[in-house]
Amino acid sequence: MNCQEVEERDILEGYLLDRLTEPEREEFERHYFECGTCFSQLQTGLALQTELRRQPAMPARARGASLLRTWSWAPAFAAIVILLSAGIWWYSARNRQSSQQVAAPPASPNMPVQGQSPSAAPSLEELARVEPPPYSPVVLRGAEDESQETFHKAMQFYVKEDYAKAIPGVRAAAKANPQSASFNFYLGACYLLTGQTDSAIVSFRKTVFLGDPAYSESAHFYLAKAYLRKKEVARAKDELQKTVQSHGGLQSEAAGILRQLGN
Amino acid sequence: MSLPSATSAGELRSLAERIHQGDASAETELVHEFSHRIFVMAVVRTHDREAARELVQDVLMAVIAALRKGQLLDADKLAPFVHGTARNLINNQLRSQSQRPPLEPLPEDLAQSCSAERLDDAERMRLVHQALERLGQEDRRILWMTLVQGHKPGEIAAALGLTSEVVRTRKTRAVKKVADLIRKKLSRT
Repeated sequence: MNCQEVEERDILEGYLLDRLTEPEREEFERHYFECGTCFSQLQTGLALQTELRRQPAMPARARGASLLRTWSWAPAFAAIVILLSAGIWWYSARNRQSSQQVAAPPASPNMPVQGQSPSAAPSLEELARVEPPPYSPVVLRGAEDESQETFHKAMQFYVKEDYAKAIPGVRAAAKANPQSASFNFYLGACYLLTGQTDSAIVSFRKTVFLGDPAYSESAHFYLAKAYLRKKEVARAKDELQKTVQSHGGLQSEAAGILRQLGN
Repeated sequence: MSLPSATSAGELRSLAERIHQGDASAETELVHEFSHRIFVMAVVRTHDREAARELVQDVLMAVIAALRKGQLLDADKLAPFVHGTARNLINNQLRSQSQRPPLEPLPEDLAQSCSAERLDDAERMRLVHQALERLGQEDRRILWMTLVQGHKPGEIAAALGLTSEVVRTRKTRAVKKVADLIRKKLSRT
């Protein structure tokens, strides 16, 4: 691996986001152990990632983008104003002409129906946005096993919205007890909330496979969100339909997203 | 081709040899050369800064112990040797996730060097915070979408109404700006 490859293949970001394969990761590590320039950029990237994760989420749209979108509507808006003016002129002219002849109902002017704004369908990015699944620690009577203890400790970070820090513990718990739907589900949630979409999909699929009714519906729903993030709309729709069929608390939200996706 | 690292291959070779010959100052140089790299690698792999700090000490101690005993057969391969040791110890930590007994602690002077790295890290985070405030909102958003949300330049471009090329350029420029500021400020201290 060389510096040019690192730049062109977005290796640095992939490394920070756990997206590289093990051989790629090792190759990049061997490279930056000897390359001062790439290591300096990596160090800055890691510090930036840590700091940005601490900050509140950025607004949905950057100012420039919203301005851009506003101005992109300008021609359509101008056309509506022209049509509206023409309609009013035509309507009053027609009324003047026919006022003493026939008391016919006024013709509908050829303009948008009042209250029917131009379609503002949300983008896939907006539909893919997720709220962290709620988590309330369950207090068990009797001694917890080691994996539960690890899980509960890790979930303290989750409650504090430090999802990245929760991952090692939740992952260890899921590894120690792979049959636990809750461990796999929250591992998926942590991955999704830290942008590790592929890993999230794997964990949510495992949760679905385990078939625990307490987590199946949510797993389908968040799986759909993960697919939306990857722009795999057909798969997302499939998971949303399964969410709807579960008839649980996420039914109406899933149905709403399906409608917006044009199902 | 890789750009040269801060320490040349020749210097690294001599470092390994000096440690084998019992030169204590060479051990301090080794800590300075590799502790940041091991720390970054451990943070990325464990997602846990505290665990990463402990791992830095473990890795350095293991490397120094091996070098003292002359176990590095090819002195030209010091960097890959440190990387390999770090990878093995980090993977062991991830596999066990249990309270394993720590390796022999670092000698006092080397441990102090690691504490200096910790201060460096805290200062770096403070500087990054400052630098982010100086960036424009759209540049900050590009970095956030890249490093936190994990979006690719094409996706960010589509969301912000820019081209992929512009997103790449602005991302690289923003990271460089932050890196320059950190380098300038840290080199003054």
